Amino acid sequence: MVFNSLTFVAFFAIVLILHSLPFGWTTKKVNLLLASYLFYAAWNPPFVVLLWLSTVVDWWAAQRIVKTEAPLQRRAWMLLSVIANLGVLGYFKYGHFLLENFRAAMTTFGIDYQPPSWDIVLPVGISFYTFATMSYTLDVYLRRAAPAKSFLDFALFVTFFPHLVAGPIMRPTELVPQFATPRRATAQQLCFGLALMTLGLFQKVVLADGFLAGPAEVVFDGTKAPGALDAWAATLAFSGQIFCDFAGYSTTAIGAALCLGFALPDNFRFPYAAIGFSDFWRRWHITLSSYLRDYLYIPLGGNRHGEARTYLALMATMLLGGLWHGASWTFVVWGGLHGSYLAAERALRRRFAGYRPSAFALFGMGAVTYALVNLAWVFFRSDTFGKAWGVLRGMAGANADATPLLPAVDLIAVAAIVGGLVLTHALLRRQTLETLVARTPAAVLTLVWACMAFAIVIEQGSGNAFIYFQF
Amino acid sequence: MHSSIFNSEPQAGVRLTAADRPGVAQPVPTRDIPPQPWRAILAAALALTIVAVGLWEWRMRTLGLEAGDLGDDASAWAEQRRRIDTEDVPVAIVGDSRILFDTDLARFQALTGVRPVQLALAGTNARPFLEDLADSPFAGLVIVGIAELSYFRTQIGLNGEALKRYRFESPAQRVSFVIYRELARAFAFLDDAFRLSKLVRHAVPDWRPEAKRPLAAIPKVLSMSDGRQAWLWTRIETDAGRRGDVRAFWAGFAGPKVADDVIAMTLESTRKAVEKIRARGGEVVFLRPPSAPLVQPKEYERLPRAKGWDALLAAAHVQGVHANDEPSMQGLDLPEYSHLSRACATVFTDSYVRRLAQITPRLQLRPDAPSPLQPSDCAATDASMVAQGAGRIRAVPPQ
Repeated sequence: MVFNSLTFVAFFAIVLILHSLPFGWTTKKVNLLLASYLFYAAWNPPFVVLLWLSTVVDWWAAQRIVKTEAPLQRRAWMLLSVIANLGVLGYFKYGHFLLENFRAAMTTFGIDYQPPSWDIVLPVGISFYTFATMSYTLDVYLRRAAPAKSFLDFALFVTFFPHLVAGPIMRPTELVPQFATPRRATAQQLCFGLALMTLGLFQKVVLADGFLAGPAEVVFDGTKAPGALDAWAATLAFSGQIFCDFAGYSTTAIGAALCLGFALPDNFRFPYAAIGFSDFWRRWHITLSSYLRDYLYIPLGGNRHGEARTYLALMATMLLGGLWHGASWTFVVWGGLHGSYLAAERALRRRFAGYRPSAFALFGMGAVTYALVNLAWVFFRSDTFGKAWGVLRGMAGANADATPLLPAVDLIAVAAIVGGLVLTHALLRRQTLETLVARTPAAVLTLVWACMAFAIVIEQGSGNAFIYFQF
Repeated sequence: MHSSIFNSEPQAGVRLTAADRPGVAQPVPTRDIPPQPWRAILAAALALTIVAVGLWEWRMRTLGLEAGDLGDDASAWAEQRRRIDTEDVPVAIVGDSRILFDTDLARFQALTGVRPVQLALAGTNARPFLEDLADSPFAGLVIVGIAELSYFRTQIGLNGEALKRYRFESPAQRVSFVIYRELARAFAFLDDAFRLSKLVRHAVPDWRPEAKRPLAAIPKVLSMSDGRQAWLWTRIETDAGRRGDVRAFWAGFAGPKVADDVIAMTLESTRKAVEKIRARGGEVVFLRPPSAPLVQPKEYERLPRAKGWDALLAAAHVQGVHANDEPSMQGLDLPEYSHLSRACATVFTDSYVRRLAQITPRLQLRPDAPSPLQPSDCAATDASMVAQGAGRIRAVPPQ
């Protein structure tokens, strides 16, 4: 189920009540586990089997890794876990993509190969929970994490509903220890958790779905070539939409967990105020970027084997990171662009090692970063390269036959919301939300909270899935 | 410690994250709770929200919204569609908004003893839904509502999602639908056309009139009760301003002519669907509800009756009722040019059911069926509106 649905409101109320009843801790954990399976099954019941499969394989593989000291055997059990997880992910997520590309390759050699139809539904959130559960065996293998003391704790780590389908991508060391001792939210935690959930749902329901998704759809899903104003407005709208959608999900997830007495890590840190791309990736989807760094970039050699190898590892990491988002070459190009940005930044940092930018230069670099991030979003949002080029041509003012596509109200909404978003990020780039809340008068907080809740209620929402569910 | 692809130097003033700790086990996160009187804040925010929602509800009711207007969405359609699979349904209706708004299901039932399953969808091509019934075990009577420009096209239209929802509706979607429906019985403000973002879109004057308006900005025209009984929203009948907004949208009936290949494809796919239904013992009839004299010429300019309606009946070997041909369907009230007023929908239903009963044995009038209605029976409201200068259009065949 999705957070922005009436079903979730009812579900969460029941879970909160159950969690506050005087049951034993094990019973409460069983309640949470069953609730999490229900949360996932409410989307498509049969796919719970995949969760079980992933859970059992990784639990078993980690147990074997712990019980043997022979390096080869340890590695074999680790590889079993990786292959099983990536195999399931590959089958459901990339099977059709691989077949289609194989067919295209055959066609270039003059062979008319018609692959069988691939009518398979992508299990929601499979990329997220696969990465989370895989990190368990990898951390146990790397001796970074002690194995979970009970299967219940491990199953709950994999399945815990706040992070299950769209992250934050949890590491075992972040969550498993939290199941060791009884947890129940204090009144302060419960209230602040509810406030965070309201903020997250406001971002998703009101800003992303209500005001920003429409302009992006008109340009990116339409058939007409956009002019410069429409192309930029739609791209900026998407930059705001995907942030409000995904950060909104993460904030709601963090709030939901907090209401139950658990802590999830930050997943965003005001990314549109980033100055440079290494800074951007320390602020955007933090749990994925750090995951790719720890389990892909560093094992590929990181920066320990010379410059050429470093750039190669960097680009490979970002290309695969792009592909993680979806089985399409447009995502690969998006990842490739970010890899190129990071590589260029690294080269510039080495070339101008002693340079200390002024405040004005920092502002300029921040603006360039945001502009280039937006250029990359064009490929991320476009279904085809043809559409991406069409929008990019529009952004350059090169679509001669362009006619206005977006009504004035959409242009105003995009300017106000995205402008406000970027300004907020700039003002808070060296702070946390909590520090801002701490120094805000209680009356203002009350008013802001009520306004957000009221806006959510009257926007109503239509239970639109979060964008990242498809990944 | 490994260096990172991303600069791993922690920044002052911010909480550390995994981005700051490359290549190590990530610790249990800490979440600070800002020191504030949270209980009081929650209580006050909740109270303010309740008051604001109450005021909003009052305001929406003054705008003509009513509790019990359930709205329409893919789940509501899917619920009705599933009845075809689980019940012995004698009559189903597919089509677009015209037959949806213009059919009084209770009148239909009073005349025949049968309450049809209403599967028409606003802004949506009926053909894929006819094909869906053709591929199902349904063996009753299908009444296909035709608005030529909706039916003769390749796209499925606004509510194609409904068919997908019927084929797969998650348990969560079903539960949300049930909860929403119960809330909509109590709260008038729960109306898709009056959500915040749509109200803002209508409120801001447009200085880019050449930009195509998003379909989501179509004003409210429909009200819906249980069993997908739809009506033209009463406010359209009583408010000249709102009526004018909707009429402005129907200016979209102007456009290019329907291509010959689209016509040929439509005729062929319809013929096949009808054959499939008949092979199981079912039957199909077509119905063309009225449209206003200001609209109909635009429709027939893009697809002449001979190439559309007449060709459809001939190609599929089906019988049909065209409002232009029926004296009992003349003079009906079309407040916004495309859909009948609530009162006239009952008259139109009375008229077309009686006519269908003449051309197909699948529909039979009950011995105790009510007396026939005449266009004059829905003229009382109309007369009052004309007296107020609301400027109504009556359905008459184009000259």
